Amino acid sequence: MRISEQSKTNHRLTYLQTASEQLERIQQQLATGKKLSRISDDPASGSLVMRHRETIAFEAQMRRNLEGGRAFINASEAALGTANDTLQRVRELTIQAANSTLSTDERGAIAAEVDQLIGHLAQVANTNFGGAYVFSGHRTDQPAYAVAGNPPIAVTFQGDSGARIRRISREDAVAVNVTGDAVFGTLFDDLITLRNNLQSSVPAATIAASLTALDAGLGRIIDARADLGARANRFEAAENLSLRTDTDLQQLRASVEEVDLGETVVRFTAAQNALQSALAAIGRTSEMSLLNFLR
Amino acid sequence: MGLSVGLDTAAKALRAHQLAVDTAAHNIANANSPGFSRQRVLLRPLGVDGSEYRSRDALLGKAGYGVRASDINRVRDIFLDFQVRQALRQQAQWDAHASAIGKLELAFGEPGDDGLATLLHNFWGAWHDVVNDPESAPARRSLVNQTTTLTTRIQRAYSDIVVQREEIDRNVEAMAGRINAATREIADLNFQIKQVELSGDHANDLRDRRDLLLDELSRIANVSYAEQQDKTVTVYLGTHEMVTTNMYRPVAAVPDPAQPGLTKLIHTLDGEDVVPGGGELQGLLEARDVVIPSLLAKLDQLAGGLITQINAIHTTGFGLDGSTGLNFLTGTGAQDIALNPTLATNPAQIATAAAANLPGDASIALQIADLELATTMAAGTLTFDQYYADLVGVLGADVNRASGLAESGGMFVDHLEAMRQSVQGVNIDEEVTLLNASQHAYNAAAKVITVIDEMLDTLINRTGVG
Repeated sequence: MRISEQSKTNHRLTYLQTASEQLERIQQQLATGKKLSRISDDPASGSLVMRHRETIAFEAQMRRNLEGGRAFINASEAALGTANDTLQRVRELTIQAANSTLSTDERGAIAAEVDQLIGHLAQVANTNFGGAYVFSGHRTDQPAYAVAGNPPIAVTFQGDSGARIRRISREDAVAVNVTGDAVFGTLFDDLITLRNNLQSSVPAATIAASLTALDAGLGRIIDARADLGARANRFEAAENLSLRTDTDLQQLRASVEEVDLGETVVRFTAAQNALQSALAAIGRTSEMSLLNFLR
Repeated sequence: MGLSVGLDTAAKALRAHQLAVDTAAHNIANANSPGFSRQRVLLRPLGVDGSEYRSRDALLGKAGYGVRASDINRVRDIFLDFQVRQALRQQAQWDAHASAIGKLELAFGEPGDDGLATLLHNFWGAWHDVVNDPESAPARRSLVNQTTTLTTRIQRAYSDIVVQREEIDRNVEAMAGRINAATREIADLNFQIKQVELSGDHANDLRDRRDLLLDELSRIANVSYAEQQDKTVTVYLGTHEMVTTNMYRPVAAVPDPAQPGLTKLIHTLDGEDVVPGGGELQGLLEARDVVIPSLLAKLDQLAGGLITQINAIHTTGFGLDGSTGLNFLTGTGAQDIALNPTLATNPAQIATAAAANLPGDASIALQIADLELATTMAAGTLTFDQYYADLVGVLGADVNRASGLAESGGMFVDHLEAMRQSVQGVNIDEEVTLLNASQHAYNAAAKVITVIDEMLDTLINRTGVG
């Protein structure tokens, strides 16, 4: 093919342009660490990256939800642990009091301790976590139980049975709370009856009858703790699963979106050589002219 | 008689080779002029046939009467011109389209940590945080901030695209000037070429210029052209005559009543719309009138969907202070989507609960947060996030396709241009070689004169001298 001056110039410009463009692109990849800076660089991978990013962001939020949820569950569970201990103490005292050989004074002392324990239990039932009363259902701005009188005459539930639900995965939205009425039931009434009985001269058998109510209360607390424990475990498992998903997706995302440093450095060197060779070749051929050989 | 013929032959040779040297000089001078076709002197030997200097001596007659530079032609392949112009049209169309819509991608910043997608995720995340702690003032404030960030960004993406549409529109407007400048000059050249060539000469350089303008017009739109008997070219765009003999019919950029604020090109003669049918103008119009409106509509759908879906739930809910019936977002589309200013000043009024005085109830907030997973867009097939990813994905694929076609079109143009250059382009080494040859021939012709001069001297001054 016949080569004209303009062809030579055009070709040289094309070689230089191509080599510089390639070098520039790789340099940008090295500087940003990304090989996909726009969707149009690779639309298929771009869409994939966006999907991965969406899932990664969603999973991160789910872990936030799970983490916060576990804290709430743990606070409730810890409170119920204390409630359990308190109630066990009441049970021991009740068994002691059901012994008919006790004097009135001795019963009075037990009644005084039960009073203390009722107060303590009410405090536990009114546990506040992060500005919310945990056993109040949806009425988290007020304590779950209102205590009237000191020593208490009546302890009444003023929450509701509202569930505090949050999303923990694409499929599940789960409550993190248990409500006071469900856990404590008639327990406070039963305890006040017991205390009243202890203060009066009812037969030992009547006091012993309170054990049934106490055991029922203990049973409910144990059930609630088991329930909360199960939820905490479920949350932990969900968190681990989410973390695994995250690791997998981050790897996938990075493999599409981010540069392999070693490979890119090698390509950079290659592109640099290409540009240098193009420059050298152009430098040499530009000097070649018939004029150099004519007088 | 015989010697004077030799002198005349030598003189013709001097003139012919002088012309060849001049032509080589012209070629070398224009080695880098775009559109230039190298020129060649057509040297024709003058034989005895038909010559009025017929000699009675047969031997003398056989030597011929020298050379004549009969013509200066340009070396050019009209078929290659046709192919190059077709390729130029395609390449220019995709190149203009790709660069026009390529800038649109920047409005979204995907994929990246500060793209719209991330802001959308952050927005849903902020709702979840409110679900987790509906009593918490910081969670509500954070939701207010994330919402404002998101809506501002949607508005900005919209206005960025509108600005880009205006920029494309200005380019469309400028096309009228480029088309008119080219057609006007072609009409002028038609007149000049006709004049020059009527007298039997070749208007090589004028033709080169006219061909260059036809290249330029082919880049802008799908023009057709034909050279007439009188050496003028007639240029058509569709069925519209743009140039005929020394007249051109201008196009004009006028406000488009169908698209307020935008421009359209019309043929001034009949007021009909310019239909480019290809080229740069077509690439720009497709970006302005097809890609951008669809993108803006999708962005409006997205914003409108967020507004209606979220408000439909939010108005049924109750804030911490018992307020209800409030919209969460105001506006109707991407241009004006914004957080309800009442909520911005008083985040406690963000409706989270299904009834008044239930600060721990986040069931309404959860319903809103769950919109993230609901397929409410594109006739119930896509979530908001997916709809957005689709919007960006379609644009990315369009840009990718257009740049690919522009690139391959560019390679095709380069290839054809190289072929065209191979025919018409100037090679300096070649010209220098021809220059050398002409120089030698010129020198030799001069030598012939010297020889004849000596012969005449011998004949006149020495013959018969004792």
